[in-house]
Amino acid sequence: MRERYMELRDGNRYRFMFRSLVTKMVLVSMVPLAGIGGANFFLFYHLNRSVVLEQHANFLRYHKESVESFLNGLVSEVVSLAHQYSLQEFKSGALERLYRINQGRGGLLEDLGVIDSRGDHVRYVGPFDLASKNYRDTEWFGRVVQEGLYVSDMFLGYRGVPHFIVAVKRLDGEDFWILRATVNTDYFAKILDAARLGSTGETFIVNQKGLYQVPPRSQGSPLDFSGFPHLEPHEGIKVQELKVEEQSYLCSSVWIPRPKWLLVFRQETQDVYAPLWKASFVGLMLFLAGGLGASIFSVAVARDQVRRIHRADLEKEALTQRLIVASRTAAVGEMSAGLAHEINNPLATIDTLQTWIRDLASASPIPEEDRQEILESAAKIGQQVARCKLITQGLLKFSRRVEASPEELDLRQLLEELLVITRSRARVENVSLEAELGQLPRIRANPTHLQQIFANLINNALDATAGRSQARVFIRAWSNGGKVMVAVEDNGQGIDPQDLPRIFTPFFTTKPVGKGTGLGLAICHGLVQNMGGEIQVESLRDVGSRFTVVLPAIEGGLELEETKEHLGHN
Amino acid sequence: MESIRVLIVDDEQEFAAGLAKVLTRRGFHVQVALRGEQAMDLMESGSFHVALLDVKMPGQDGLCLLKRFRQMAPGMQVILMTGHISPDEEQSGRLVGAFAYLLKPHPIADLIELIRKAAGQGQSPPRNCMDGPP
Repeated sequence: MRERYMELRDGNRYRFMFRSLVTKMVLVSMVPLAGIGGANFFLFYHLNRSVVLEQHANFLRYHKESVESFLNGLVSEVVSLAHQYSLQEFKSGALERLYRINQGRGGLLEDLGVIDSRGDHVRYVGPFDLASKNYRDTEWFGRVVQEGLYVSDMFLGYRGVPHFIVAVKRLDGEDFWILRATVNTDYFAKILDAARLGSTGETFIVNQKGLYQVPPRSQGSPLDFSGFPHLEPHEGIKVQELKVEEQSYLCSSVWIPRPKWLLVFRQETQDVYAPLWKASFVGLMLFLAGGLGASIFSVAVARDQVRRIHRADLEKEALTQRLIVASRTAAVGEMSAGLAHEINNPLATIDTLQTWIRDLASASPIPEEDRQEILESAAKIGQQVARCKLITQGLLKFSRRVEASPEELDLRQLLEELLVITRSRARVENVSLEAELGQLPRIRANPTHLQQIFANLINNALDATAGRSQARVFIRAWSNGGKVMVAVEDNGQGIDPQDLPRIFTPFFTTKPVGKGTGLGLAICHGLVQNMGGEIQVESLRDVGSRFTVVLPAIEGGLELEETKEHLGHN
Repeated sequence: MESIRVLIVDDEQEFAAGLAKVLTRRGFHVQVALRGEQAMDLMESGSFHVALLDVKMPGQDGLCLLKRFRQMAPGMQVILMTGHISPDEEQSGRLVGAFAYLLKPHPIADLIELIRKAAGQGQSPPRNCMDGPP
């Protein structure tokens, strides 16, 4: 179960690595893509806008020309009619003849009338009953008397139907008469019928007071107030964006000189930019497709990379394991002298005691006091054997399988066991090895790794102090805020300041050739880091060194909770 | 024949005591010191033919003690014994004039032979005015 937990933790690490790689790669591909997309949209927006404005202007220019040429044609038609006949001829049937010709040509003119200088209808042909009407007081009558030729705005007049007229004044000696023609508004409105663009583009005409002359197809009728807000005179074509009742329009307008009408072409902005939105949508789709492609690619690459890293990690792990074994063997070697001493001494005692027993037992019969001596010696042999056993067991524990898995353990007990076998070396080297081990919270760690770390540190301390007078190695263990600290302190030669940054580098050693592998501290460092701890070093040349190992303690049930959670997810 | 006087200096108490008993039974006159200082005291108060000296001891170690013994009693032979053999120590032990350098455990019979040999080679211990007639 513990192994599975470790696997999960490893799995999580690689999952995280995988995710971060995918994220980075997707970002690297998508950010420039988004940038290009954004820039394209911006450029396309402006291009589209200028094209649309140009299109509007051209469209309006064209329609202005057709409206103007229609009106001009109308005016010259009426003027030429007025000059074709005299008042007498009009009175005696010419007007009716002209009207018939007009009807035959499609009925551009709705009716015709000749009016004398008093404003009375002299003659009238048309569908309305206007023959008896007097126009002296109408606005248009005044204008035509004054100007000779007049084209009116739309008005209701006697007939009560919106219409506009063209009137021409003819002098007849001292007197004058007027030919008046009413334009067929349906005919006129048809000119603008074709003037549409997109689905919402439409054309309309307003007079200077803002009344529709020709309403847009979608709304209103002639002489309704248009509400068009920009009626001040301007030169050429004016394009502007307008907002009317939550709907925004692109409007272009141009003034027609006679009559003073404003021709307006407007299109809903939404409609104007429809191609833009369409292109943007396609762009967005391409972007998303690109994103999908990049993601698939990234996932494939990241999976491959993470697999490679995983394999490299496994290889590194295997190599580290081999180095640990090597360094362990070296540590045992370094301690062997002390161990031999520590075992040879009891062996010598045992040997002496067995000789003593034999000496005593050779007498026959054995005196009672000698029997007592024999028993005591045997007991002493037992004690010496126990002493040897302690050493050999310590050694066995130390050389236990390296692949042991992490477990909850008491560091203090582990240190005490280790001290049994290191103390013998200290004795041989004539170094005083002292320890002050406080009560410690339990930690989770691989016991062989811990032994390795502290055996290395203690061996180094013994090496550093060997041959010095008053040599002393002091081991202290205490706990502090969820952490367990173990300091291995010596009053040895110390470390050169320039060597300090390099001491954890593999194969760096200051020991003479053949003595140190240069792996001990590098491995200690690696192992401590694996346990989530750290090693601190303080050293002064010829004063001594202190290595402090800081390891996290198990905090209550927190670790257990976490384990459950990890297991729960899988 | 005058019994051979032997001084055993070893911090291994059981070993020293056991050896003392064995040697005493074989007719040696044995005294035991567990520390260098104690050995110096015994040297002051008596003389020995042979000293068995442990090399590794807390405080004053065997080699140190050997040098002082050579000055105090040049006629006394010293046999060095240790649980840990080191060529350097053996070399310096011989230089200072040790009679033998032994690795523990050493067969007792051999050791007894060696002590006898050492006693035979050594001059008789210098007489101390306090000792009285032999």
